[in-house]
Amino acid sequence: MLSLRAGRLGRNILFIAAILFFGVPIIWLLLAPTKSLNQLDFNFPLSFGSFGQIGIAANNLFGYGGGLIWTWMLNSVWYTVLSVVLALVTSVPAGYALAKLPFRGSNTILFVTLVTMIVPAAALILPLYLEMSAVGLTNTPWSVILPLTFYPFGVYMIYLFTINSIPSSIIEAARLDGASEFGIMMRIFLPLARPAVVMIAFFAIVGSWNSFFLPFIMLTSQNLATLQTGLQILVSSTGAIGGGNLSNIPIRAPEVALAAIISILPILLVFIFAQRYLAAGQSAGAEKG
Amino acid sequence: MTTSNSGVRRRLRRTSGWGFVAPYLVLLVAFGVAPALYGLYQAFIVTSVVGPSTFSLTQNFSDVLTDYRLPGASLNVLLYLLAWLPALLVIVFGLALAIDAKRTKFAALTRFVTYVPGAVTGAAAALLWLFMFSPQVSPIGGFLRLFTDKSGSFLSDQTFPIVLSVMGIAAGAGGWIVVLYGALTAIPKDVLESATLDGANAWHLVWHIKLPLIRSYVAFILIVSIAQGFQVFVEPTVISAGAPGQVSRTWSINQLVYSYATDNSNYGRAAALAILLLIVCVALAVFIIRKTKFYSIGDR
Repeated sequence: MLSLRAGRLGRNILFIAAILFFGVPIIWLLLAPTKSLNQLDFNFPLSFGSFGQIGIAANNLFGYGGGLIWTWMLNSVWYTVLSVVLALVTSVPAGYALAKLPFRGSNTILFVTLVTMIVPAAALILPLYLEMSAVGLTNTPWSVILPLTFYPFGVYMIYLFTINSIPSSIIEAARLDGASEFGIMMRIFLPLARPAVVMIAFFAIVGSWNSFFLPFIMLTSQNLATLQTGLQILVSSTGAIGGGNLSNIPIRAPEVALAAIISILPILLVFIFAQRYLAAGQSAGAEKG
Repeated sequence: MTTSNSGVRRRLRRTSGWGFVAPYLVLLVAFGVAPALYGLYQAFIVTSVVGPSTFSLTQNFSDVLTDYRLPGASLNVLLYLLAWLPALLVIVFGLALAIDAKRTKFAALTRFVTYVPGAVTGAAAALLWLFMFSPQVSPIGGFLRLFTDKSGSFLSDQTFPIVLSVMGIAAGAGGWIVVLYGALTAIPKDVLESATLDGANAWHLVWHIKLPLIRSYVAFILIVSIAQGFQVFVEPTVISAGAPGQVSRTWSINQLVYSYATDNSNYGRAAALAILLLIVCVALAVFIIRKTKFYSIGDR
């Protein structure tokens, strides 16, 4: 009994420490747009400025280029949606088949998948650009969307989930009932694998939404830029971080902080939505036999 | 069922296996293998100061290996790995196991908060971390001031691996906690219940049931994390962009790769160094796969 209580106390202390460590930077970021540049430098770091200041920062940010940030947001949304759907449609069946329908060469595909995951991005980006330019797709949305549909992490996670948590006996039983392999995947595997699919969907959304080098290299037109590349260009062209902003474009630290909050908000909403499904995985064990 | 019938079924299964993997295979070749092979080819093309490029199997590799900046960058990356990787693993496994041990609201909140810093990238991350590590404006300024030098700056060669580790953990731990927690919740309940009935306490469950059951995830996290550590790029770039002059722009190996490509337009050397980096990571991956018997799990 005593050890149980000690265990709970230890756990709660651990949680509080983690929330402080991971949460303080975020609280600072949430408070930053409420302050002017001057207040950011001289007020207590975790103090609240004023709501009026948020309005000023928002006006400056959304006013840039006649509301260019809305275009960037819209671009980010549809590039992400399309690439994530294609990534899931290709990676989930692949991960499942590599685990449960092995064929000659399937272990090689798994190993190559793992290797492509750890290839330095620096080695891939220029060849990718040349590839896209050879088929005439650079500076089109496809040059960003297509490479993002390649999702080795998703394949690996589904593979690991399947070998660890989907008993072969369920699949065997469905086969004896005369179900087709495609039918087994759709009606038996997918419902059981929902937590894993939701998880890789979430990471795919984050990966696409936050991808930076790919759109940065591929897209030259400002109207095709994503939120991430647009903001980066905005920040570096105004010197808003780590230097004096000598331009008369009013983008400074508070505006950048506001832009940061806007760019992570969709991810946090998706996380909160996905959170319900991430832990639903009790069915796999319960249905064996 | 007759033998020939089951033979047909087995062949059918193998065919559908191919069919399920085929669309992914196209993407793997187009956006994974082909660019990587082209990068490999590039590593043999030597850019000359004057005249046309030449082909050499060894030139770029020997140029890169004798670059005076490489030993320093390698040492930096090793120090970073030593500081970051053990801390990351302890935090990720500690928190994921604690969150899984009792799935309370508080545990769910912790999981959420640990994830948030990882969602901040690019320009936003640069702003965030520059303020975090500037003693005058940081919420943890009082703590940082214990380590500042005479000029009032916190960043120095000694503190830099620590600063990067903190950034790397804050940005990277949350994602792995989600992955590991997902793996832990997929362990069948009856396995844990019967172990508890046999008198296993929480520690026994972790060491003898949970960790062995998720060892393939452990290997995967190790392989990817080690590669990320060797290829550390974003964190030192962010800090050096915000604090020009205090930190070298070629602090890490991967930054050196980018410097070859962007400052010197020498893609051959950039590719050669990237491939050397990859060879180290793949060698370690193979070692981990052997040690954990990664692929044998599927056979049970």
